[in-house]
Amino acid sequence: MKGAPFSFLRLGLVAQNTLREAVRQRLLHLFLGLALALVLGARSLRDFNFGAPELKFIADCGFGAMTLFGSALTIAATAQLFFSEIENRTALTLLAKPVWRAEFLLGKLVGVALLTALFCALLTGLLAAVLWVREGELMALDPEGFRGGRAVSYAMVALGGWLQWLRLVVLAAFTLLVASFARTQVFAVVCGFGVLVICHLQHLAQEAYTRAGSAVGVALGGLFGGMFPNFQVLSLADSLAAADLPAPGTMVRLTAYGLGWALAAGLLAVLSFRRREI
Amino acid sequence: MKSRLGLALLVCAGLALAGQVLAPLVAEPWRQRREREPALRLEPGVAAAGQGVTLALLGGFRALVADAAWIQMYARWERRDLAGTEAFARLVTTVDPRPVYFWLNAARILAYDFPAWRIEAAGGYDAVPAAVQRAVNEAQAAAALELLGAARQRHPDSVDLWVEEANIHLNRRGDPLAAAAAYREAWARPRAPFYVARLRAEVLRRAGKRAEALAWLREIHPALPEADLGAGAELVLQRIRELEAELGVPAGDVYRPDR
Amino acid sequence: MEAAAPVPAVAPALETRGLVKDFPVGLREVKLRAVDHLDLSVPAGVIYGLLGPNGSGKSTTIKALLGLVAPSAGECRIFGRPSGEVAARRDVGYLPEAPYFYRHLTGRELVGFYGRMCGLGRRELAERVETVVAQVGMTGAADRAVETYSKGMLQRIGLAQALVHDPRLLILDEPTAGVDPVGSAAMADLIRGLRDAGKTVLLTSHLLGQMEALCDRVAILDRGRLVAEGTVAELAGGTGRQQLEVDRLDEAQMTELRAWLAVRGRGLHGVAAAGRGLDAVFLERVGRVKGEGKEL
Repeated sequence: MKGAPFSFLRLGLVAQNTLREAVRQRLLHLFLGLALALVLGARSLRDFNFGAPELKFIADCGFGAMTLFGSALTIAATAQLFFSEIENRTALTLLAKPVWRAEFLLGKLVGVALLTALFCALLTGLLAAVLWVREGELMALDPEGFRGGRAVSYAMVALGGWLQWLRLVVLAAFTLLVASFARTQVFAVVCGFGVLVICHLQHLAQEAYTRAGSAVGVALGGLFGGMFPNFQVLSLADSLAAADLPAPGTMVRLTAYGLGWALAAGLLAVLSFRRREI
Repeated sequence: MKSRLGLALLVCAGLALAGQVLAPLVAEPWRQRREREPALRLEPGVAAAGQGVTLALLGGFRALVADAAWIQMYARWERRDLAGTEAFARLVTTVDPRPVYFWLNAARILAYDFPAWRIEAAGGYDAVPAAVQRAVNEAQAAAALELLGAARQRHPDSVDLWVEEANIHLNRRGDPLAAAAAYREAWARPRAPFYVARLRAEVLRRAGKRAEALAWLREIHPALPEADLGAGAELVLQRIRELEAELGVPAGDVYRPDR
Repeated sequence: MEAAAPVPAVAPALETRGLVKDFPVGLREVKLRAVDHLDLSVPAGVIYGLLGPNGSGKSTTIKALLGLVAPSAGECRIFGRPSGEVAARRDVGYLPEAPYFYRHLTGRELVGFYGRMCGLGRRELAERVETVVAQVGMTGAADRAVETYSKGMLQRIGLAQALVHDPRLLILDEPTAGVDPVGSAAMADLIRGLRDAGKTVLLTSHLLGQMEALCDRVAILDRGRLVAEGTVAELAGGTGRQQLEVDRLDEAQMTELRAWLAVRGRGLHGVAAAGRGLDAVFLERVGRVKGEGKEL
């Protein structure tokens, strides 16, 4: 009788099925619609007559929409796509096949990663289009203000979209980690938002850890500082006025950092899910 | 209970290990960023900025929050709310110090708008004595220059910040020599536009420092590309000749371009 | 020295030895014993019924056999292989109770998805999907979304996904629950056909009449323990009596029969009119004949 080694094909099938299920849900349509509305609504900033800096404001609206609605979508979709399998017992049917639990869980994570990639790609594309059009209008109105050519770094816009996606994938992995042992979907969602906040403040915990005088402070600071990723480091390009385009080496490191955390949380989720009784 | 506790400890240990392994990947970029952005540090000034900073950091929306605060600042600017305008302007630069635009416009508001508002609030330009007007201009200019100094901590290579400083020295403080020093600093920054160097010479000349102006033009002319009309090499050479004539420079000592 | 016990030529399809499953309940995690030292052996090539009241441990036993829950003690094997191994499930097709499937897929896509998850290659998959879909009588509805299916259709497409990879063992949990008599009869015919093709079928159901007619062997569980096991005849027969079906007798003939039996030391313990049974009437009236397996 043949063995059943771990199969990336099966993992991919679960991911594909997860994505197909996700794109049919109203949750995605709602958050995508709100995000698109916010990006398009940034066009109203023309009334303020900021000139060239208006482009920065438009980009900030776009990145803000990606962060706000992207985070909410990621947390809610991850929890919902996981718990629906448990509650509807489709997980029962699937795991009764020669399928590893790791294939199932990581397939779910990859499916959500694909969903967030779609979300970020759509918004980044729309943002770039809005910026391109508005920049053209401003260049015609104020040629002197654009004497050096186009002011927007579209490479930075693309980079911003990529880093945003990395953050969302890490967030999905942590939400899945909680879901792997949580009894209710609500708990997983609440914890997901908690992780979002912690990851944005993680750097302050690190600093408190190094400065704290008391043992408790050191312990707490080290706990939160070391156990969660730093989302602020993945927001290098969330504003057009950010520093110069990061070096390729830095981008590789940031990507490795984000994907490394996603993989770590994903594998810990597998460890937890192996003990879960379906 | 034991198995759940065991699993929880295992997960915590796994996350801690991941943190140790992955943190070095981004240590250097993060260190550089923290140095540039006070909002990311546990500084007293950051805490004093209050809930705007907290909100910005919590959600990762600081660019958006800063933009919203800037728009609110404009609302107060329209109402000539001096205290409110300054508070929001400083909040914005604390929450998101990355855009030079915020620093520049905040400094301009401090240097140009605030004196006008204060003088008008005190009775108008006809009623307020000239000495008082000068004191107000000087005080506001000093506040603007302090802000620009803080901005240069974050943007050490910004030409625009030095140019703005020069403009304030010239237009608000009536100090052309300080303006000339600022233009020199601006010219020393990477990718400085050629007009900055020419402005320094012009300011020195108007301040009566013609010899210094001539020495400066002789110093910068070799660096001006002839092929680039914007560099104004011909114009600078013309100014050199004018100053040599005004100063009576002997024929043997005139500037000879080394082309 | 004693002779070694003979090794069976074919491993049992399913086997549990000393299976125990406890569930922690409440904050103090008091243990609730769902399965209590269960020893079960299901031979290959039979229809095996697992009976018991609600809470008797049937579902837990099935989940332990499928590796969905970890035994607290004891072991489970599928064709000799520990059931915790992923490879052991290659030989198993499972239809859960009240099945729920991915609503956005069509029936054909659903069966294809599970077929690929079981490792079928593309060429083989297409053929198998068509075969099992036809086998369960769902060819006409296979291109409709699963969310449009009736309960009976869900059961049948569920059976198709359990069969797609041609497993040696099928575990069917309440396969006819909530299904009308026509569908139920068709399902029973399918199950017999699978047994006749050499497969082993483990069934659970609360419909004892159907189980009696269908199963070769049954096990009865109560409070997690095995309380009876054997063929239907062994368990339900052995009364020492017979049932005869004769043409209708009048009163005088009945008296004569009683006297004849009494002379031989036998008694007449019951007389009842022989009917066709309500299910036969139903099947006849709705225009379908039991055993033909026509598509609904």
